[in-house]
Amino acid sequence: MSEKIEFTTTGKPHPYHIVRPSIWPLCGAAAGVLLASGAVMYMHEVSLGGFAVGLKGVILGLLSVLAVMFFWWKDIVHESVIERAHTKIAEIGLRYGMALFIASEVMFFVAFFWAFFDASLYAGQENMFLRKEYTQGVWPPPQFHVIPPFELPFMMTMILLLSGCTVTWAHHAILEGDNKNAIKALGVTVTLGFVFLCFQVYEYVHAHFGFTEGVYPSTFFMATGFHGFHVFVGTVFLFVCWLRAKKGHFTQERHFGFEAAAWYWHFVDVVWLFLFVAIYWWGNTIGTGTPLPH
Amino acid sequence: MQKKYLWLVLAAVAAGITLFTGPVFATAGADAYQMGFQEAVSPVAERIHDFHNMMLWIISGITAFVTLLLLYVMVRFRAGANPTPSATTHNVPLEVVWTVVPVLILIIVAVPSLKLLYFTDRVENPELVVKVTGNQWNWTFEYPDHEGLSYLSVMIPDKDIDPAKGQQRLLSADNQMVIPVDTTVQFIVTASDVLHSFTVPAFGIKVDAVPGRLNETWTRVTKTGTYYGQCSELCGKDHAFMPIEVRVVPKDDFSAWIEAAKTGTTSYDAFLEQRGRSAAVSE
Amino acid sequence: MNVAHAADHTHHDDHHDHKPGFFARWFMSTNHKDIGTLYIIFSIVAGLIGGAFSMMMRAELQSPGLDFITDGQQWNVWITAHGLIMVFFVVMPGLIGGFGNWFVPLMIGAPDMAFPRLNNISFWLTVAAFLLLVTSALVGSGAGTGWTVYPPLSSIAGHPGASVDLAIFSLHLAGASSILGAANFIATIFNMRAPGMTLHKMPLFVWGMLVTAFLLVLSLPVLGGAITMLLTDRNFGTGFFNPEKGGDPILYQHLFWFFGHPEVYIMILPAFGIVSQIIATFSRKPVFGYLGMAYAMVAIGVVGFVVWAHHMFTVGMDVDTRAYFTAATLIIAVPTGVKIFSWVATMWGGSIRFTTPMLWAIGFIFLFTIGGVTGVVLANAGMDIALHDTYYVVAHFHYVLSLGAVFALFAGFYYWIGKMSGRQYPEFLGKLHFFMTFIGVNLIFFPQHFLGLAGMPRRYPDYPDAMAGWNEISSYGAYLAGASTVLFVFIVFYTLFFGRKVGDNYWDVEPQVMTLEWTVSSPPPFHQFEIQPKMN
Repeated sequence: MSEKIEFTTTGKPHPYHIVRPSIWPLCGAAAGVLLASGAVMYMHEVSLGGFAVGLKGVILGLLSVLAVMFFWWKDIVHESVIERAHTKIAEIGLRYGMALFIASEVMFFVAFFWAFFDASLYAGQENMFLRKEYTQGVWPPPQFHVIPPFELPFMMTMILLLSGCTVTWAHHAILEGDNKNAIKALGVTVTLGFVFLCFQVYEYVHAHFGFTEGVYPSTFFMATGFHGFHVFVGTVFLFVCWLRAKKGHFTQERHFGFEAAAWYWHFVDVVWLFLFVAIYWWGNTIGTGTPLPH
Repeated sequence: MQKKYLWLVLAAVAAGITLFTGPVFATAGADAYQMGFQEAVSPVAERIHDFHNMMLWIISGITAFVTLLLLYVMVRFRAGANPTPSATTHNVPLEVVWTVVPVLILIIVAVPSLKLLYFTDRVENPELVVKVTGNQWNWTFEYPDHEGLSYLSVMIPDKDIDPAKGQQRLLSADNQMVIPVDTTVQFIVTASDVLHSFTVPAFGIKVDAVPGRLNETWTRVTKTGTYYGQCSELCGKDHAFMPIEVRVVPKDDFSAWIEAAKTGTTSYDAFLEQRGRSAAVSE
Repeated sequence: MNVAHAADHTHHDDHHDHKPGFFARWFMSTNHKDIGTLYIIFSIVAGLIGGAFSMMMRAELQSPGLDFITDGQQWNVWITAHGLIMVFFVVMPGLIGGFGNWFVPLMIGAPDMAFPRLNNISFWLTVAAFLLLVTSALVGSGAGTGWTVYPPLSSIAGHPGASVDLAIFSLHLAGASSILGAANFIATIFNMRAPGMTLHKMPLFVWGMLVTAFLLVLSLPVLGGAITMLLTDRNFGTGFFNPEKGGDPILYQHLFWFFGHPEVYIMILPAFGIVSQIIATFSRKPVFGYLGMAYAMVAIGVVGFVVWAHHMFTVGMDVDTRAYFTAATLIIAVPTGVKIFSWVATMWGGSIRFTTPMLWAIGFIFLFTIGGVTGVVLANAGMDIALHDTYYVVAHFHYVLSLGAVFALFAGFYYWIGKMSGRQYPEFLGKLHFFMTFIGVNLIFFPQHFLGLAGMPRRYPDYPDAMAGWNEISSYGAYLAGASTVLFVFIVFYTLFFGRKVGDNYWDVEPQVMTLEWTVSSPPPFHQFEIQPKMN
C-alpha cells in the first residue's frame, strides 16, 4: 500500500525574505535594451534624423545600467543592514545564488578557452588550408612577436595571488571582529587589483600585434580582455566592500556581501592562473612549436 | 470487448509499418507520395538503406509496443473498468528489464551502425577526383587530374526548363557534373563564401562545404543515369536554387566528354548534341 | 519605497492578502505567481506570433513554386524568427517562467522564489529580448541565418545589416534572463523546501525544473561566449570564425551545439515533470519508480552535455569522433525509455480519468515516443548522411518539441488553469482542442518523414514538383492546427470570464499523490504559506 502524503504546518511563520515590489527590474531591462540598441547604432554608424549617434547611445545605455545596479544594490544593502531581512536561511539562498552566478561565469570563459585551444592545438590541421596559411602550421604563429610569459605576466600573476592573500586577511579580520584591519586589508586588495589593471593596460599598449590581425590576437585579447573586465568588476565590488566596512556594515556573524566579493575575487584569480598557464606560458613558448609532419 | 479493440489497433499498426517501409517504392528522384529513399545506386547508399530498413523495423516495433501498451492501459484501467487503483509503485525486476533491454537493442543497433560509418568514411585509391566548391549560389566542379578542368554549374531558371529534354524544375543545372559509372570517385569539397552542403541522395553522400576547409567523401556509382541533389546547408537567399546535377555515364563517354569539356563543351547535353551532329556528318 | 496599497479583498480566506496597486503589481512585481502569469501571457502572445510564421510557411509550401514570398531572404527571415521565437519566447517562458514560477514555490511549500526581484528582471529581459528580435526582423533585410546563426552566413559579409547584431543582442538578453532565472530556481529548490520534503520526496515537476536550471546555468554562458565572438568578428575585426584570419566556422558550431543540445533538454525536462504530475493525478496512483524517474532526468541532463556534435555529422569531423558521438547519443535512449515505461506503468493498475490534461499527457507520451525513435535513427552518423538537414530532421524535432514540449504546455495549462485563475475551462472545448491539435500536428509532421527520406532539404521555400503531395497534406494539417489555436484563444477568454469557479482540490487529487498546490485556495492567496507547511 503506497503511503499517503500528509502535509501539516510547522505552526511558525516562514523564515524567508519577502521582497517588496521594485521598479529596478523593469528599469534594468529597459537599460539593457538601451545599451544593446545603442551598441547596434554605434556599430552600424546610424544617424537619427541627421544626428550621428556614435558612442552616445552606448554611453547612455551604460550609465542607465550602472544607475539601475546602484539603486538596486542600495536597496539590498538597506534591507540587509537596516531591515535585518537577511535571516540565516535567506543568506544561504544568497550563497547559492552567488555560487551559481560564478559557475555560469566559469562556463562563459570556457567558450574563450575553447576558441583558444581550437586554434592552438589544431594550428597545423592538414585539411584546414586557410588556417595553415595563417599559422604556418604552428602555434604561436611565427609572424607574431609574442609576450614573454615570465616577465610582466608573471608579475601580474604574483600580484593577483598576493591580492588573494590580502582578501583572506580581510576575511579573517572580519571574523575576528577587527574592522580596522579588515578596512586596511580591503584597501590593499583594491590597490593590488588596480595595479593589475594598470599593468594590463600597459601590456595591451605595448603588444606587438593588433586586435584585428587574426585568430592569435583575437583569442589573446578576448580571453585576457574579458578577464581584465572581471578584475575591474571584482575591484569595484571590493571597493564597495571597503566603503561598507568603513560604515561598519560587516559583523562577525553577518558579512555575506564581503564573502561574495571574496569568492568572486578568487574566481577571477583562478581564471587568471588558467590564462597564464595556457595562453601566456604554454601558448606563447611551447605551443605546437615545430610544424607538424607533412 | 477489449480484444476487439486490440485487433483494430494491431491492424492499424501493421498498415502503418507497411506504409512506412517505403524503400520498395524507391525510384531515381522523388515521386509524388513517395515514402522512402530515392533508389540507391552506390554501395554506400545501399548499406544506408539496409541499415535504415533494419532501424525501421526496430523503431516501428518499439512504437507499436508502446502504442499497444498505452491503448491497453487506457481501456483496461479506465476509471469505469477499474474503480479502485492499485498501490504498486515499484517493481525492481521490471525496472531492471526496461533498462537492460533497451541497452541490448542499442548494442544491436550500434554494431552495424559503426560498421556503416567506417565504410562510408573515406577511400584510399580513388580513380577520379572531383573538387567541388560551393558558392553563393552555384557550384564549381573541378577535375584536377584532367588539366584542372573547372566550370560553373548553375540552376536552369524555371522559365527555361524544357520538360521535353527531361529537365526538372529546381533540379536541373546548365552544366552537370559528369562521372563515369563503376569508378571510384573521390569528392574534395570546400566553399568560397559561406557554408554549403554537397549531397546526392542516390549516392548516399552528404558533406558540408566549409570555407577554408577541405572535406572529402567518395562514391562508386553502379548505374548510369541522371541524379540530383540540393544544397543542404542554409547559405542565403538562393539556398533552394543551387541544385547538384550529376550525370553518371559509361566510361568511354566520360573520356570523350572530358576532352570536349576541355575545349569548352562542359554541358553534357551540348556534348551529346555535338557528338550526334558529327556522327551524322561522318555518315 | 513602500508601494503596497490596500487591495480589493476578493478572497474569502485571505490573511493580509494585500495586493499592490495595478502598476506596482504588474510592472514592479516581486510575486512569483504574478510573474508566472506575466510569463504565460507573454508565451501565449509570442506563440501566436511564432504560429503565424508557421501558417505563412505552410501556406508558401502548400504547392510548388514561390506563391507568397518574393525573395529567399524573406523566407530565411521567417524560418529564423519562427525558430527563435518558439524556442526562446514560447516554450522556455511558458514551461520554465510560467509553470515553473507558479508551481515550484507552491509545490515545495515556499512563500515565493528565493530572489523575487531577480525573478522579475528575468521576465522583463525576456520581453526586451523579444523586442530586439522583432526589430531585427523589421530592419534592413532581416536575419536570415536560421536559429543557429552559423557563420560565415551570419558574418558581416553574409549579413551586412544591423539585423544579425540585433538578433545577437536579443540572445544575450534572453540568455542573461534564463541564467538569472535558473540560478533563482536552484536556490529556491535547494533552500526553500518545506521541512520534511527531502530531495527524494520532491514532486517530479520540481525535479524536472531543478535539472533544467542546472543545464541552463552551465550551457547558456557558452552560447553567450560564442555569440560575443560572432559579434566582435562582425564589428571589430576579430577572426574567431573567419578562416582567412586563421579562424574556424566549425568552432562556432561546436560552441553553439554545446549549448544547443542541452537546450533541447531544457525544453523537454519541465515537460516530463508536468506529464508525470498529470499522469499520477488522473491514474490516482503515485508515479511508478519515482527515484528512477528523477534520476533518469538527471542522467539525461548529464549525458546531454556530451553529445552535442551529433548535430554536426556532415561538417567533416574525423570518423572516430563521429563514432563516439553516435555511441554517446544512443545512450540517451535508455533513460528516456525508463521514463516512457514508467509513465505507462503508472497508468497500469490505475483508475484513469480522461480529462483534457490527461489526454494531452497521454498524447505527449505517444508522440514523444515517435519523436524519440526517429532520434535514435538520426543518432547514427552513417545513417545521418542521408537524413541530415532534410525534412526527416524537421519531423523529428517537431515531434519532440512541437508535439512534445508544446503538448506539455497545453497539458499544464488545462491542469492548472483552475488553480491559477480560480475558474475551470470548459471540458468539451478542451477535448475538442486536443483532438483538433492532435490530428492537425500529426498531419503536418508525419508526412515530413517521407519528404525527408525522399531527400527534401529543410529551410527551402520551394521544392521539386515531385514533393508536392506530402507537402500539400502537411499544409492542410497546419491549417487544422492553426484553427485549433484559435479555439484555444477562445477557451482562454471563455475560462477567464465565464469559467466555473473551483475549490482548492478541484481534481480530487488523492492523498497518495498529493502535492502542495492543491492544499491552497484557487487562486492561491497573494502570499501563500505564511505559516510554513511541513511534510510528514
